Amino acid sequence: MATAETVPSPPSSSYENQYPSIDPTTFDLIVCGTGLYESLLSAAAASAAKSVLHVDPNPFYGSHFSSLSLPSLASFLHPVDDDDRSPLSSADKDSDDDAVFDLLRRRLYSDVETSGSFPEPSKGFLVDLAGPRFLYCSDAMVDLLLRSGASNHVEFKSVDATLIYWEGKLCPVPDSREAIFRDRTLGLAEKSQLTKFLRLIQNHIASEESGDSEVQGVDKIPPESMEMPFSDFLKSKRLPPKIRAMIIYAIILANYDQEDVESCKKLIKTKDGIESLALYTKSVARFPNAVGAFLYPIFGHGELPQAFCRCAAVKGALYVLRMPVTALLIDKETGKYKGVRLGSGQDVFSNQVIMDPSFKVPSSIPPGNIMHKEKASSFSGKVAKGICITSGSILPDSSNVLVVFPPKSLYPEQSTAIQVLQLSQNVAVCPPGLFVVYLSTPCNDAILGKEHINAAKNALFLGTEVEKSDGISLSTNSEGAEGENKPVLKWSITYVQDQEQASFGAVCSCPMPDENLDYRCIMETTKKLFTTMYPEEEFFPASRAPDNTEEDDSLPE
Amino acid sequence: MATTGNNSVNAKLVLLGDMGAGKSSLVIRFVRGQFLEFQESTIGAAFFAQTLAVGDTTVKFEIWDTAGQERYHSLAPMYYRGAAAAIVVFDITSSESFEKAKKWVQELQKQGNPNMVTALAGNKCDLEDKRKVEVEEARTYAEENGLFFLETSAKTAINVNDIFYEIARRLPQAQPAQQPAGVVLTNTPAQRSQSSSCCS
Repeated sequence: MATAETVPSPPSSSYENQYPSIDPTTFDLIVCGTGLYESLLSAAAASAAKSVLHVDPNPFYGSHFSSLSLPSLASFLHPVDDDDRSPLSSADKDSDDDAVFDLLRRRLYSDVETSGSFPEPSKGFLVDLAGPRFLYCSDAMVDLLLRSGASNHVEFKSVDATLIYWEGKLCPVPDSREAIFRDRTLGLAEKSQLTKFLRLIQNHIASEESGDSEVQGVDKIPPESMEMPFSDFLKSKRLPPKIRAMIIYAIILANYDQEDVESCKKLIKTKDGIESLALYTKSVARFPNAVGAFLYPIFGHGELPQAFCRCAAVKGALYVLRMPVTALLIDKETGKYKGVRLGSGQDVFSNQVIMDPSFKVPSSIPPGNIMHKEKASSFSGKVAKGICITSGSILPDSSNVLVVFPPKSLYPEQSTAIQVLQLSQNVAVCPPGLFVVYLSTPCNDAILGKEHINAAKNALFLGTEVEKSDGISLSTNSEGAEGENKPVLKWSITYVQDQEQASFGAVCSCPMPDENLDYRCIMETTKKLFTTMYPEEEFFPASRAPDNTEEDDSLPE
Repeated sequence: MATTGNNSVNAKLVLLGDMGAGKSSLVIRFVRGQFLEFQESTIGAAFFAQTLAVGDTTVKFEIWDTAGQERYHSLAPMYYRGAAAAIVVFDITSSESFEKAKKWVQELQKQGNPNMVTALAGNKCDLEDKRKVEVEEARTYAEENGLFFLETSAKTAINVNDIFYEIARRLPQAQPAQQPAGVVLTNTPAQRSQSSSCCS
């Protein structure tokens, strides 16, 4: 352990200061970081009978997908070792066979601003680094939780209501025909247009699923419409702007301005829009005791990586928290990746390594080890985020609420949708009477992104007790007069998260949590990473599920 | 979580203790009535289920093993979450494993469910001639820490059923911890969406 003292000791490690020595020393796969991508890959590889060593420098599971207490969040966003120039270890260098390439840590959060002091008890909160986020009841993540047995570890609560900010007011988004009927903010004509449109979509989905394209008396959407921009398709159905905004931003959860067809960063085509609508429709009815389409995991999103790590462990993966990885070992002769050097100075070997996005692979390593940057699905901008603690609910008598600010709804320069998720003590993330609210919007520029976040905060909350943060212009205080029953902001933090793209190869890097509210893109990217590594293996084959528990007859209800 | 129904209680029970203390062997003896001389470190099951009748109450145990995550002290908070009972296992032939057991007890106390029923099991009591931890020492420690203590042998089955039975007996008295009841994911048939869809 001669080199251990040159390594910064991991944060708040209370149990043992000395790094253990790992046995065995050779694996099929080494995974560094326990974010969701890494945990899924680890569980998938272990399910495919690969030997896996899974380490994390932190004393907790989840990396950039953790759910943390407020003090831990603050220190995670302000890492101590953010100095890119000094490598973690420069202990004894190259051996005879291996070249040692020191790994650097990348700084992924910037522009962190806090206001207010931690509400007490500050440890009574669990805040998501990957928030705002939820699952559609019928999405691929839910299916995977079931297939892998990870669902044994996690329980969920419904998001009770969705609101859309429209013409200076919060309006409910109806999720069923009954809800449309009951709604008091929609006019009669709007109700009938929306019902008619939903019937069209319903019939289309039904005929797609039955595989019969010539069903009698059923309107089907013509194939030529499927390639047109979804917003144009909605316009062609003569839906009014508010209904279009509900569908695009509050149901299929688009981030970018879809009406701006020319310069939209991620233009949604009709076929994609309909696919998402179908997912939403299926989600609403999936679980008997769920209301609405969306689920939030009790105790926060940090539960998901823990659950998948446990799945991996059950299949034999070896787990070591509080264990940094300091360098990559490259075979001098072949120039190929060979293993990693751990914080203890110990060298461990594998054919393949996966790293979370905070590890920066040195650009000097031989090129064959990193295949290519993933371009298709990932996006490479930034995400501006806010986390607020409030003392009242945005919607009286509701606990967990989604709020969407469509582009331009707050001010003309607002180019992206701002997504807001309020959570209550019924998902065990905060003390009774208080609420945790996440805000997020993709951006290219940190200042503009934070302006969006602050404008949404001002529209939702009374910021009385909190000093206004410096330098940010607060552009929407026009509706201050009717702010009597707005919840009061107790504490808030805003920050900007960098997006890092995935890279494939023997040295593989996982991306950051994406800018979306759901897990669909994350699942796709993970699957892609897995099949690139192990083209011959299936990603969580369905048949593996039954051996998950002994004595099947007495499964918990 | 101990949840009560019609005279039936569901209880999550977690095993703790150092590698090699005999955690998995205890469960396998209890659940299957088997003992393997060379039990492998991992068993490949997420949890075991076993039902016990205590008086007119049925206790349905969901028994969670560490899956090796204890080896480098890397158990997730999720593991302890909602546990109504715990068995901390040590090997009576190893003083070190007894010292580690004390650390696991501390860890458990930190997780902060005061209603958890905790047992201390001094396993491998068939190996009397190799004993390193005296019965009295362990008993005193257990009493001081509000645990109940039994010496067990997964090999000869001594006290194995008894320790689970004793936990079951103590459970109904324990208050179920407060946790909101959530949506539990269940696999519904693929046709589900047809009949019950929202806009039909």
